[in-house]
Amino acid sequence: MKLSRDLTCAEVVELVTEYLEGGLSSHDRERFEEHLGFCDWCVTYLEQMRQTIETTGRLREEDIDPELQDALIEAFRGWRSG
Amino acid sequence: MIAYKFLGEGKVAPFSGVTWPDQGEWLEVETVDPCRVGVHACRIAQLPYWLRPELWEVELDGEVVEGELMVVAPRGRLVRRVEAWNRDTEREFGEACAAEARKRVERSPELELFAVDVEQTAASATAFAAFATARLAELQDGPPGYDAERLRQARWLAGALAL
Repeated sequence: MKLSRDLTCAEVVELVTEYLEGGLSSHDRERFEEHLGFCDWCVTYLEQMRQTIETTGRLREEDIDPELQDALIEAFRGWRSG
Repeated sequence: MIAYKFLGEGKVAPFSGVTWPDQGEWLEVETVDPCRVGVHACRIAQLPYWLRPELWEVELDGEVVEGELMVVAPRGRLVRRVEAWNRDTEREFGEACAAEARKRVERSPELELFAVDVEQTAASATAFAAFATARLAELQDGPPGYDAERLRQARWLAGALAL
């Protein structure tokens, strides 16, 4: 992948996980950060994703209420089929 | 080498969230990998890409890696804050972008909305106004137009901030 300069916010949202996991090439990371350089909304989104990963990364399966687990599994099934 | 670094209020790095140590104290990392690990800064020509509330002159040490839009080193420290960069100069920079955009749409009226965007964001989202002006230049003159406009912006900053 070689990202163009007119990267959109929607593309940034799609790429944010890859960015955080270090999966983008140097060129693409630079383009990604160029977008963040002028887009405060995407900076906020990135920060929210970082905080979400940090918070959920501390959760163990037994920490989640069984009813909530069922609801989440159902939601994911719906998301996949939708 | 001497380079520059835009930071959020309180010396906070915009993407990593790292708070830089006090002036004169080194910030160090073990390895350098642009956009991943390292002390990131920029040259004067790259300033318009990274606008934030605080601008600092920084000293980089060790092997410096050159990126297209940044320089990265294993060590860096804040040398002095560029006090000339403040809300007033930021607003003036936004106004300069708006004036450039307005001039450009005179020869390309079909791009009028770009000038409107730049005018509306010049004071409140200056970095976006600068980007939109560069995109307008790119639509008029092709990709070299984008780079030329970014360079014009960098020269404006260098002049206004006496860098």
